[in-house]
Amino acid sequence: MITYVAVGLLALLSVSVPVGIVLFLLGFGIDVFFSPFPLIRGLGQLVWSSSNSATLIAIPFFVLLGEILVRSGVAGRTYAALDRWVSWLPGGLVHANIATATMFSATSGSSVATAATVATVAMPQAEKLGYDPKLFSGAIAAGGTLGIMIPPSINLIVYGFLTQTSIPQLFLAGLVPGIGLALAFVLATVIICSVRPSLGGERRVFPLAEMLGALKDLLPIIVLFTIIIGSIYKGWATPTEAAAVGVAGAFAIAGVFRGVSISMIAESLLGTMKITSMIMLVVIGASFLNFTLSSAGMGRELQSFLTGLGLSPLAFIVVIVLIYIVLGFFIETLSLMVVTIPIIVPLVVAQGYDPIWFGILMIVLIEMALITPPVGLNLYVVQGARKGGTLSEVMLGAFPYVVVMLLMVIALIAFPQIALFLPGFL
Amino acid sequence: MAQDILMILRKLNRAIAIMTGLGLLICAAFVLSDIVLRQFGASFGGTDEISGYAMAIAASWGMAFTLLELGHVRIDLLRSRAAVRGRVLFDLVSLVVLAVTISVIAYWCWPVLGTSIANESKANTVLETPLWWVQLPWFAGWIWFALMSWVTLVAALLMFVQGRFDAVESAIGAFAEQDAVL
Repeated sequence: MITYVAVGLLALLSVSVPVGIVLFLLGFGIDVFFSPFPLIRGLGQLVWSSSNSATLIAIPFFVLLGEILVRSGVAGRTYAALDRWVSWLPGGLVHANIATATMFSATSGSSVATAATVATVAMPQAEKLGYDPKLFSGAIAAGGTLGIMIPPSINLIVYGFLTQTSIPQLFLAGLVPGIGLALAFVLATVIICSVRPSLGGERRVFPLAEMLGALKDLLPIIVLFTIIIGSIYKGWATPTEAAAVGVAGAFAIAGVFRGVSISMIAESLLGTMKITSMIMLVVIGASFLNFTLSSAGMGRELQSFLTGLGLSPLAFIVVIVLIYIVLGFFIETLSLMVVTIPIIVPLVVAQGYDPIWFGILMIVLIEMALITPPVGLNLYVVQGARKGGTLSEVMLGAFPYVVVMLLMVIALIAFPQIALFLPGFL
Repeated sequence: MAQDILMILRKLNRAIAIMTGLGLLICAAFVLSDIVLRQFGASFGGTDEISGYAMAIAASWGMAFTLLELGHVRIDLLRSRAAVRGRVLFDLVSLVVLAVTISVIAYWCWPVLGTSIANESKANTVLETPLWWVQLPWFAGWIWFALMSWVTLVAALLMFVQGRFDAVESAIGAFAEQDAVL
């Protein structure tokens, strides 16, 4: 059955059948070939119960929040403000890319949306100031991946939904590794640009008054992050409800900047529906596959397979990491997550690992998948926002940050506390 | 002609998507007012339940829109290497597979609604929502998705036999990453 799922998955995906549909087909196949009783009778009920979910409504809300912020011009102001604060470091504006991406991650649940937001506002500056495009665009692609690590995060909501783990705890667990990654990106940039100054750009120091004046442009994002995360941990709202609070906050901010109009709302809603349905087809398909796999006894089969391998828990997790790195080259990230969660997470937990910790580890691996070719969505997004140049420039520029992420993976395995101390503490 | 049909469908589904999105907005407003009410010790009760229904219905009705906007993720590693004729074949095959699969899903969604109607089932909650009220629009959304995928397939096949491969690709090709972003 393991072979069937693996081969079927790769074959169907490679002929470009939509990912959600592939998951359903694999479920049908397991029903026909491996199950003693007809599982398809449960299909309708599963489609209903997996989409009738108050948890998942957070997805359209967080997507909508991002759409509103981008369309109201908040992104541009934030970028300019952060430029005042961080461009004195070796590497100049590259740090503003990372800092803006980090801040937007704190209000956005999606990496692709974060990268797109930053790329739109940053690219014109790169051309104007004559930056080397490689590191500059690589930093946007890498910084954007923080969107799914720093709460709120759509991917962590999906992970929590499929593995029955606490979403607030997952959010807390992602905070320290997320900020840690952002700082490590900055550090890596400083090192690279100190060794090879030509890769960065001019260091600029702004007068203190200008720096202080820029602070007010950071307020919208800080306020929004505070009300979303604050309302969760104050116990006022569930993560889902906090998403609704965020939508209201984003509307208020857009209103302050006079960015609200009928066409802006319509465009935001269209974008939201498109992304939501895309995610939901994959999530519903994964729920069905999940159900058929467990009904047909996949757990037992995998268990015995692994016992047969005789790996230690550490060797086991290393194998899992390698699997994700390889799959991450080729598979789009949400699909990668959703496809593997039903199979891999039970095994990891059976080895005695904490599911919350593994969620965070998986997110770092998924972030890496976002910026490793040939299929790395953030690379395409950043390239799409550029006027010219080649995709391989972005890939090269993102490479140092891939190394940083690898180090984070090792750190998380060596010191699980990086992810777990905050949820344990509160 | 095939192209006109697709244009109309696209417009229609955009309108549906905006209405569904508005529904989600209303749901957000409802959740928000409940949070505020709770600070004063009151509550509407049942916002979770209603959010769940809204999500199920919104997801099912958004599917066809996403299909027509080429929004459903596909891995085009092999596909992108083929010439236009080959790419279009990939697209047609995957659309056939999708249409069949969605039809099977829609077919098996019926018993859920049928049972709720026959038993007059109510949700096991405070609101005691009669389930068919919410399952009917949900089921209709999946039927609509199945219907749209077949009509799109027929339109694409028409253009294919006329040899208009570029038109087929722009109608049912793999999503352009840049467009899919926001």
